[in-house]
Amino acid sequence: MKNLTKTLTLALIAFSLNTFAQSATEKFQMGMKKGLEMLGSAKGTDGFTGTANYFERVAQAEAKEWTPFYYAAYSNLIAGLTTTDKAIKDQYLDKALAEVDQADGLSPNNSEIYALKGYVQYIKLSVDPQARLAMMGASAASLAKAKALNPENPRIYLISGQNTFYTPEAFGGGKAKAKAILETAAAKFAIFKPATPIEPNWGADQAKDLLAQIK
Amino acid sequence: MKTLLLSFFLLFTLGVVQAQTHITGFIKTSKGKAVPNASISIKNSYDGASSDSIGHFDFTTTEKGKQVLVFSALNFDKDSLLVTIEGKLMNLNVLMKEVVNELEAVTISAGTYTTGDAKKGAVLSSIDIATLAGSRADVIAAMQTLPGAQAAGSESGLFVRGGTAAETKTYFDGMLVKSPFNATVPDQASRGRLSPFLFKGTSFSSGGYSAQYGQALSAALVLESTDLPEKTTTGITLLSVDGGVDQNIRFKNSAVILGGYYYNLAPAYSVFKQQQNSFIKAPEQLGGSFQYKAKTSASGMFKFYAAYGVSQLSLNSPNINVPASPGFFSNDNSNIYVNSTYKEYLNASWKLEAGFSYNRDQDKGLMVQDNYKRTDKLLEGRATITHYYGRLSNFKFGTETFNTGRAESLNTLNRSYTDQLSAAFAETDIFLSSKVVTRIGVRTEYSSYLNRYNVAPRLSLGYKTSAASQLSFAYGRFFQNPEDSYLIQKPLDYEQADHYILKYELNLADRLFRIEGYYKDYANLTKVNGTSLDNSGNGYARGFELFLKDKKTIPNGDFWISYSFLDSKRNFANYPVLATPAFAAKHTASIVAKQFIPSINSQIGATYVFASGRTYVNPNNPVYLGDKTKSSNNLSLSLSYLTHVFKQFTVLYLNASNVAGFKNIYGYQYSADGLNRRAIQPSSRRDLIIGLIMTIGDDTFVR
Repeated sequence: MKNLTKTLTLALIAFSLNTFAQSATEKFQMGMKKGLEMLGSAKGTDGFTGTANYFERVAQAEAKEWTPFYYAAYSNLIAGLTTTDKAIKDQYLDKALAEVDQADGLSPNNSEIYALKGYVQYIKLSVDPQARLAMMGASAASLAKAKALNPENPRIYLISGQNTFYTPEAFGGGKAKAKAILETAAAKFAIFKPATPIEPNWGADQAKDLLAQIK
Repeated sequence: MKTLLLSFFLLFTLGVVQAQTHITGFIKTSKGKAVPNASISIKNSYDGASSDSIGHFDFTTTEKGKQVLVFSALNFDKDSLLVTIEGKLMNLNVLMKEVVNELEAVTISAGTYTTGDAKKGAVLSSIDIATLAGSRADVIAAMQTLPGAQAAGSESGLFVRGGTAAETKTYFDGMLVKSPFNATVPDQASRGRLSPFLFKGTSFSSGGYSAQYGQALSAALVLESTDLPEKTTTGITLLSVDGGVDQNIRFKNSAVILGGYYYNLAPAYSVFKQQQNSFIKAPEQLGGSFQYKAKTSASGMFKFYAAYGVSQLSLNSPNINVPASPGFFSNDNSNIYVNSTYKEYLNASWKLEAGFSYNRDQDKGLMVQDNYKRTDKLLEGRATITHYYGRLSNFKFGTETFNTGRAESLNTLNRSYTDQLSAAFAETDIFLSSKVVTRIGVRTEYSSYLNRYNVAPRLSLGYKTSAASQLSFAYGRFFQNPEDSYLIQKPLDYEQADHYILKYELNLADRLFRIEGYYKDYANLTKVNGTSLDNSGNGYARGFELFLKDKKTIPNGDFWISYSFLDSKRNFANYPVLATPAFAAKHTASIVAKQFIPSINSQIGATYVFASGRTYVNPNNPVYLGDKTKSSNNLSLSLSYLTHVFKQFTVLYLNASNVAGFKNIYGYQYSADGLNRRAIQPSSRRDLIIGLIMTIGDDTFVR
């Protein structure tokens, strides 16, 4: 009887979670949480394409939320970064840029979205630096806008520091110059708290890794 | 109680089982190839999956009833399927079609070399043009390293596939530029007026071009101006021969760009001996420009460009008949150029483009003892409407009208002419599939001065032979008015050329190879018979060209090789017979290489140009244009050192032309009695330019 009650209680919990007790926002929160867990354990181009596909599904079902587009863009960016297939690299990045713009449409003047845009633009540049030098200005402009909107967003400094890290000294980059920016990023990450658990909260480890490479 | 609970539990679990439907299957192409990483989803729900490496997918859903199943993947067309979900296992096999995207579809490209940033099929980027060794950041000079164009010589302009410089026309955002070159100095090539930094893309077409472009028998150089600058910045250019400042002011949806420059060749001429003319006043030029660009909507753009420049020079040019009394020549030039365009999408499938331009170029001065003055004018208005349909196809039609002419005087003698030339064109690109495209176009013109019509058909075909290779064919009939110097004497007829071009191209990610063969048939060329003019001239040009660009073989470096074979003869101007003109060297080859060396923050560039001998008129040889010069060679080197001065991004620049000191001769000028001759040579044997380019307001390389 005790066992049965236990099973029944569990079943009821599961039941309530699955159907009537599940309000739309809860469904969204749960869905995003699941997506972020997938993102946390994703590996390689295939893994990130999988999370991109997942967030795109959430995005088309939740017409008013910007975060699914944001994470879909982020996943496509990482998939584009990791893929070795040069022919498809630009397509991932173009998709990421389109999704950044969709997120921007839903949440205008969002520092996080502009920071991510600056990231994607820099990676677009890195595909063919000689022909796309102009994208460096575009990336810098997006990051400047992100900074104007919220100077406390640590990801701006991470992305800007990362861009500087990978840009040759001759073009205004270099590890020495990146160090100061990444240190700012690390300091801002230490005090950063996202407004909700599903808003962007990534990058602290990346900043540490890059700083470790400089030292 | 127990039974009740149990039954409730059973019911509940049954319910759960019923609510979940298992959907599984494979996604493949029609050829049976697996489509990995595809997204499968039920519309308006979170439920779905990604396909694995063998195209397999598998998921469960709680949705029921009629649902739309959506399939998407990069490189594939998005597709959907209406399904009824009833709780039973669903096994689906889905076929997806590979997308016909613009990047992979066949293109119209016979005869055309596109340059620009991130452009489809781009051959050279803007940076390639600006940093080309020996080009001094001149768009025209950079084009001379591409197949089809003759090597720079003693005349201004682009000589393409046996055509004269007047047969190549320059278009700025679709509008004809009447005077794209600086004032002409006897026996010297002058620079293009338009800075390469004004443009984001360049398309150099050595034949078979679109019906949109008229009044060019041989080639079209189509320049596409940049959009809004990203930021407010100041650019400073200091070269050993000139200095310039440009200020970009960026507003939210618009920008103002102000520019000014000054150049003076006197210091350079004092160092590098002038072989041709002895300058009394070395060329000196002062100019300024104003640009306003505004985004009028999400897809609309308005652009306005105005430039004004003045230049002065005077010299004594050698006189072969009486060496003791050289010919005095002075020139004061002023040039106004205004170009304004507007572009807007009327809706998703209709685009409107409109523009007007004005160009006035005035030369005056003294020629030996005679006062001369010459004013060329062009006012153009143009409108084009494009309708996009299907995936990639479009239909375009438009009209343009030019008010053009020349006025000249010599001492007290005056003459002038004005022509109102109106044109209409229609053109369609039809993609029969992603592998086959055809472009059919027609252009018609009416000139009030010639009082004649012309009708010019154009046809292009493209066939994709594999994912990376393409075969193209182009045919076109081209008309242009005779040159101003003839028209001012009397109205004539249109000059005419027919082009036939066949091209094969292999375009891999980091390598590009092209081979192109052509035949060009000239008719109605202007001929001078004694003192009378008529259109009895004719001629032909045929040849083939090779182009190879490689960004892969050398790390941090790239190079391109061009080779042109040209066989051309014409009977025009004052030619007594059909002969090979001086501007039609049989073999032309160039190698351009660039290497970035990270350890010294520098880019080294080298350009080598070879041209076989040019013909010249020797009055002692009964065969007209029967003599040939020796072949010419030129090796130019450039070094760009990237650094920061006062924390501002700076490029220090060094460009040396003809470093090996080859003694090149373009031809000979004979005395009237045929006993003496003088060699026409480059203005100086060697040349060196040192410069500094600085961008303030940005610590990265953006210009």
